[in-house]
Amino acid sequence: MTTARLNPPAVLFLGLCPAIAVSVRVNDALWMSAGVILVLVLSNLGMRLLSRENGPGESSNTPGWAGGNAGLLQALVITSLLTACFEAALLVRVPLASASLGIYAPLIAVNCLVLSHGGPGPARGIGASVTSALGRGIGFAAALVLIALVREVLGSGTVTLFPMGGFAGTIEIRPLVDQPVRALGFAGGGLLCLGYLAGAARAIAARTEARRTRGETSP
Amino acid sequence: MRENPGAAAPPPLPLMPAPHLGVRLSTKRMTWMVSLGLFPAAAWGVFLFGLPAMGVLAVSIGTAALAELAVTLPSRRFTLADGSAFLTGGIVGLLMPAGVPLYVPAAASAFAILVIKQSFGGLGRNWMNPAMGGIVFALLSWPAPLSRWMTPRGGALQDAVLTPLDALRAALAGPGAKEGSPLAILSSAGYSFSGMDTSVVGWVNSHLLAPLGTSLQPGSFDVLVGHVAGGIGSISAPLLALGAWYLISRGVIRWHLPVFYVGSFLVLAAIFGGLGSGRGWLAGGPVFHLLSGNLVLGAFYAAPDPVTSPLTNKGKCMFGIGLGVLTFLLRYYGSLGDGVAASIVLGNCAAPLLDRWAARRGTVESAS
Repeated sequence: MTTARLNPPAVLFLGLCPAIAVSVRVNDALWMSAGVILVLVLSNLGMRLLSRENGPGESSNTPGWAGGNAGLLQALVITSLLTACFEAALLVRVPLASASLGIYAPLIAVNCLVLSHGGPGPARGIGASVTSALGRGIGFAAALVLIALVREVLGSGTVTLFPMGGFAGTIEIRPLVDQPVRALGFAGGGLLCLGYLAGAARAIAARTEARRTRGETSP
Repeated sequence: MRENPGAAAPPPLPLMPAPHLGVRLSTKRMTWMVSLGLFPAAAWGVFLFGLPAMGVLAVSIGTAALAELAVTLPSRRFTLADGSAFLTGGIVGLLMPAGVPLYVPAAASAFAILVIKQSFGGLGRNWMNPAMGGIVFALLSWPAPLSRWMTPRGGALQDAVLTPLDALRAALAGPGAKEGSPLAILSSAGYSFSGMDTSVVGWVNSHLLAPLGTSLQPGSFDVLVGHVAGGIGSISAPLLALGAWYLISRGVIRWHLPVFYVGSFLVLAAIFGGLGSGRGWLAGGPVFHLLSGNLVLGAFYAAPDPVTSPLTNKGKCMFGIGLGVLTFLLRYYGSLGDGVAASIVLGNCAAPLLDRWAARRGTVESAS
C-alpha cells in the first residue's frame, strides 16, 4: 500500500524530469530502474546498519534517520554517495548507457530519497527494511518501464533492449516504425502517459479503499 | 410578497449548472449551427479536391463519432446528438490536406475526442479545443504527410505542390529575390497559379485598375477565392467569412474575439512581418497572410469555442489579442504548421486566468 502511495513520478509527481527524460527508450528506463533499486536497497541497508537502534525490541526515544535533521543528512550523504558510485560504475562498464542517461543519472538520488522516506520503523529490523526498499524500487521500475514501453512502441515503433549475441538490441514494430506517433516521444507525450498512469493508480487505490471500508462496515 | 391565488402555476424552472447566462440558444443548436456555418467552405473543398477530400472528411468525422460513442457506451449517456463530436471531427478534417493517408485524420480525431475532450469529462469540461489539440498532435506526430498537398486543378498528392504560404516561406528562406509583396515573391519564385487567375487578374488590371495606375499581382484571384493548394476547408476565406457572418448574426459567436484576434495579427504582421526575413519594417504582407493558412477558420470557428474561451467580453478581447500575438510569432518564426492551431491550444491554457482577471476588475458583462 505504502509502496503504491510513494511512487515518485506516478503518484507524488516528483522526480518528473528524469522520469520523462529516460522513458523515451526502454533500455534507458531499465538502466535507471536498476540504479534506483540498487541504490535504494543499499542505502536503506546502510542507514539501518549505521543507526543506533539496531535490533527489534530495543525501544528508543531518539528519532530515527527520517525523523531529525541529522537523520536526513545521513540519508542524503549515503544516497548521493551510492548514486555517485553507480554512476561511476556505469561510466566504466556501460559507457553507452551512461551517455544516454547523462545528467539524469545523478537524479537517481532524488528518487531514492523520496522513495526511502517513511519506511518501516527501526523496530522492524534489517530484513523488513530491505524488503520494503526492494518493493518500492520495483514499483518505481514498473511504472517507469511501462511508460517507456508505451512511449517507445507508439512514439518510435521500436523496443530498444540490450544487444546480445546476434540480436542487435532493437525490435522494430513494422507498421509503426515508418510513421510513428512522434508526439509521444516528446516531453508532452511523456507527461500524457504519466497522467494516464497516475489516473489508473488513483482509480485502483480508490477502488481498494472503497472495498476496504465496505468490508469494515458490513459484518 | 402576496400570493396571487388566480395566477397560473409557474412554468417548471430549468435546472442547469452555472454560469447562468441568458443565452437563448441551446448547446446542441449552437454546435450544429457552427457546422452549418462551415458547410460552404467544406463544400468548396470537396468541389475542388473531389473524392480524396470526401474520404478525409468521412474518416475524421466517422472516427470522432465512433470515439464519442465508445466512451459514452458504458454509461449509456449518449452524446452524439449534441453535434460536438461531428464538429470536432469536421474541423480536424477541414484543416488537413486532401488525400492525406487516412490514419492521420483518424488518429487526430480519436486523440481530440478521447484524450482532449473525454479524458477531462466531456463537452464543457475540456480546457483545450479538441479539434485544435488533435491537429497539433497530428502536426507533431506526422509532419511529412501533413505538408504534402494536392493542386486544386486535379492531380495527385505531390511533394512538389506547396501551399502559397509554404512556398512563400521557402522563397524567403532561399537565396532568391525578396522584394515586393508576398505574391510578387511567389511569382518570381515560379509558383504557378491557375489559368483562371491569369485571365481574371489580367481583365481586372486592364479594364479596372489601369486607369487608376495600379495593378494586381498574379495569384490575387486564386488566393482570394481559395483556388490554391491547402487544407480542405481552410482555403476559401470568403466562404468561411460568409459562414462566420451567419453565426455572428444569429448570436452563436460574438464578434469580440475573432475581430481582436484577426486585428492584432494583421497589425503585427503589417508592422513587424518583414523583419524576420530581412525585408525591413512594414513589409509583412498582412492580407496575404490573412487569406492563406488557417487563420480565418481558427479565428471564427475554433477560437470562439465557448468552452475554451473566456466568458467575459473583456476577457474575449484580451484572449483575441493574445492569440493574434502568438499566431504572429508562431507563423513568422515558428515551424509548427501555420501557427493557428498551436496558438489556440496555447491560448486555451490562459482562458480561465483571463476570466478571473476580468471578473476581479468588476467588468463581467452579461453574455446575452
